[in-house]
Amino acid sequence: MDFALDEELRMFQKMFRDFAQNEIAPLAEMLDREERPPLETLKLAAEQGFLGAPFLEKYGGSEIGTIGYCMMLEEIGKVCMSTAMIIEVHTSIAAMCLYLDGTEEQKQTYLKPLAQGEKIGSFALTEPGAGSDAASVQTTAVRDGDEYILNGNKIWIINGSIAGTFIVFAKTDPEKGARGITAFIVEKDTPGFTVGRNEKMMGLRGVPVTTLFFNDCRVPAANILGGQEKLNQGFVTAMKALDYGRLSVGAICLGVAQGALEAGVQFACEREQFGGPIALKQAIQNFIADAATEIEALRYLVYHTAWMVDQGQKYTREAAMVKLFGAEVAGRVVNNMLQTHGGYGYTKDYPIERMYRDVRASRIFEGTSEIQRFVIAADILGEKGLKIRP
Amino acid sequence: MDFTFPKEYQLLRRMVREFAQNEAAPIAREIDEQKEVPRALIDKAAQLGLLGVPFPQKYGGMGAGETGYCIVMEELNKVCGSLAVIIGGHIGIGATAIYLDGSEELKEKYLKPLARGELIGAFALTEPGAGSDAGAIRTRAERDRDDYILNGSKIFITNGKLSDVVSLLAVTDPSLGVRGGVTAFVVEKAFPGFSTGTEEDKMGIRGSDTTELILENCRVPKENVIGEVGLGFVTFMKTLDLGRLSLGAACLGAAQLALEASVKWAKMRHLFGKPIAHKQSIQFMIADMATEIEALRSLVYRTAWLVDTGQPFSREAAMCKLYGSEVLHRCVDRAVQIHGGMGYMRDYFIELMYRDARITEIFEGTSEIQRYVIASDIFRQEGVRILP
Amino acid sequence: MRIIVPIKQILDPGGMTVNRRAERIFINREEYIINPNDKNALEEALTLKDRQGAEVVAVTLGPERADDALREALAMGADSAFLLTDVAFDKADSSVATTVLGKAIQKIGNYDLIIAGCQAADTGAGQLGPRLAEYLGLPQITEVRQVLAVGDGKVRATRRQGKGYAEIEASLPALLTIARDANQPRYPPGARIINAYREWAVTVWGASDLGLEAAELQPLTQEKRISFPPEREFGVKITGAPEEAARELVQHLKAHRVI
Repeated sequence: MDFALDEELRMFQKMFRDFAQNEIAPLAEMLDREERPPLETLKLAAEQGFLGAPFLEKYGGSEIGTIGYCMMLEEIGKVCMSTAMIIEVHTSIAAMCLYLDGTEEQKQTYLKPLAQGEKIGSFALTEPGAGSDAASVQTTAVRDGDEYILNGNKIWIINGSIAGTFIVFAKTDPEKGARGITAFIVEKDTPGFTVGRNEKMMGLRGVPVTTLFFNDCRVPAANILGGQEKLNQGFVTAMKALDYGRLSVGAICLGVAQGALEAGVQFACEREQFGGPIALKQAIQNFIADAATEIEALRYLVYHTAWMVDQGQKYTREAAMVKLFGAEVAGRVVNNMLQTHGGYGYTKDYPIERMYRDVRASRIFEGTSEIQRFVIAADILGEKGLKIRP
Repeated sequence: MDFTFPKEYQLLRRMVREFAQNEAAPIAREIDEQKEVPRALIDKAAQLGLLGVPFPQKYGGMGAGETGYCIVMEELNKVCGSLAVIIGGHIGIGATAIYLDGSEELKEKYLKPLARGELIGAFALTEPGAGSDAGAIRTRAERDRDDYILNGSKIFITNGKLSDVVSLLAVTDPSLGVRGGVTAFVVEKAFPGFSTGTEEDKMGIRGSDTTELILENCRVPKENVIGEVGLGFVTFMKTLDLGRLSLGAACLGAAQLALEASVKWAKMRHLFGKPIAHKQSIQFMIADMATEIEALRSLVYRTAWLVDTGQPFSREAAMCKLYGSEVLHRCVDRAVQIHGGMGYMRDYFIELMYRDARITEIFEGTSEIQRYVIASDIFRQEGVRILP
Repeated sequence: MRIIVPIKQILDPGGMTVNRRAERIFINREEYIINPNDKNALEEALTLKDRQGAEVVAVTLGPERADDALREALAMGADSAFLLTDVAFDKADSSVATTVLGKAIQKIGNYDLIIAGCQAADTGAGQLGPRLAEYLGLPQITEVRQVLAVGDGKVRATRRQGKGYAEIEASLPALLTIARDANQPRYPPGARIINAYREWAVTVWGASDLGLEAAELQPLTQEKRISFPPEREFGVKITGAPEEAARELVQHLKAHRVI
């Protein structure tokens, strides 16, 4: 048993922290105000190897392991949740689908440019009638010679307007529900594929979230993710990638909560009321103590799960716990830190206002808190021989 | 990083689990009703080294460190709150005070028999006017040649009646207050002038006695001072830090049982033609319990690791106590809810767990005090000193 | 007096779920334990040690992980431990196991008693004790309930016979197999658990240490297939205090609309 960060991890942590503080933090307010993605930052991050952090070097990755990758997301999440989310969806979900189940050739052709940051990745599963209930996908892919013809719409797709490579899930066997879904690699500018305008959102305004339209969009059969043998097995790929994504979102939430706590502590020391800093008030101290406690618990839950991934252990339940607990803790912490800021917290002069809007999304995307609870309960009861349905 | 428990700890956990399951679980209800843990059970625990878990073997202990102690507390409290509290009062604070700052002679004389379970220990800080506010104690120790003469009373003392030896805090110099004026002593119950007063009747942990201790011109030899004269407050605070961590571990165990029992019940209990496990309301309670327990587990064993590797841990220990007791509270509450009427019935163990759990948010520093400890540590780093 | 106790490590059945429909066994928790009946043998040896002094030697044949079984035996009170492990032993059946354990026991030497379990909970073959006695040319008493006395070159023990008990005497050295549940094995004391892993050693012997050639390690039998026994209609077992059990029973009856 050893909870210490080894030399390498400590070095990574410092590097991520410096990068986040110097390159990302100064832009966070502007991204939110102008509602635009941090394209400059993504270029810099690519140069540092931050867009393929967990992947093997032969696929253009940096091989820093899942613990290291979680630390990276934590440090970025601390200063700008929008930037962290773009990188997370790109890496943990889109590129991860290729990394987990792509053929060797697909990894060279599609994963490498993603890992090296030449292109941004996106993951298109959600539809108007299918979100957490992924099996209800309506988009169809019909075989026509050496091609598949895709028809349907995908909504709320993160990175939609900036991505070059999309992992798109479509029904290839409509009779079969979840076992009739296939993952396709679709390149931007494929005829018949158009991207809608960016959604207007409460927070995460730096994240481009769009609708994708497929109208008789022809995709080569060779672009079935994992090749012909993975036909109708897209759902499994999606679930594996989403497990990794859930852990990653938990790491971002850890960063957001830590960032909010630090902001709250600093504010409480500076802000004076009734003749002294508000830090002297027990109500404020209680907010701080509860936040610090939950963050500490979350931190080792995240690292422990990341360690399980690197050890090759099964981690579906733990990933759902990290996402659930991370989102709930971050939500509570940001709320209480906003309260600590009082009226200032409600103004745009302090980042806590933005964080409050941003963090609300974490209980919703990549599986709502309710879905995470279902996943956890299903795993526990499944172990006892009882199968439950959502 | 490596989150694997070493094998000796895995075997230790299995041993304690089997011991608790076979020896304590069948009589847990009886312990609650009789308001007493049978001495035979404590002696059996002693034979297995469970009364000296964290102490080195040269002092008669198990040599399992803080991680081992947390494992033991987790497994014991899963099954019997009263037994866990007795051992917690004995090891976690009573004997620990002697272990941390006692002289070699004191360790030889008291720690060894305590660790072997030949003597039972207790820790006496609280007074009618002083609890979490340890600075307000009134018990007086006045020097008389080679002895100290102690006068005063201590209340709410865990193991007050059961114990043979008490680590006790008294004022040696009222002009200095907690900084230099308070001293820790080892006082034998057999010393003339030392007696027990009222025993409290409690909501839960009823098998563990909570008793008043009375000192009337009780003569204690100066060799029985723990550490240095005037520095008793420091000894007691360090002791409480360790106690908090192990309480967090104890909460973890009980919360885990609340979860396991709820899962079992939800699978078995049918409503509307199906096990209630099929209802989302039940599933979500189970998921929340499991998630919080997992987070608590990480927190507890990471803090134990801090202790065993010699790193600072006060803030983290307070977090373990605060978070552990609150998670436990939520878990037993949900367990009662999931069990419905059965959860409220006294012939089922959930009801007992619910009563036993409530104390964890109060003793060895209330949740409010833990929050103060955590916040003051955070603000100290920012250069702001806060007072309770 | 030296007592040698052969033990076997098995997969903890508590960590498995059996799915009859799929004819598969799911392992939820891969944990290994000392075969419970072998623990009875060890307990009998340790009781003799407590009563009249003895050196207790635990020995096991198995993969590297069987080291844990020996550490537990040391923690319970054994004085030394031997792990017999080699790729050449991997396919051991009862006859090969007997050869390997027999050789090791001869190499340890100077023994007065060999105390073994009757049966392993995983294979249930029940051959090892008797085979080992034959291999070593020792008198044996099987399914012993209680060892009454050891001394003057003799051992006396009771065993169940028909509906009663028989008292049997044999000359030393002898081999005893202990009946299931003949005793309640002790818990290993905590300090010994810590020392078993941190302080004490397990001796490891391979085929060459025992002077065993490949020809001597050819199994005589082979496991071809395992299958599930025919399904029985089984009900729900209700345990616990009478009142609690009654309540549970009523609930089941209600759930099945019997009442």
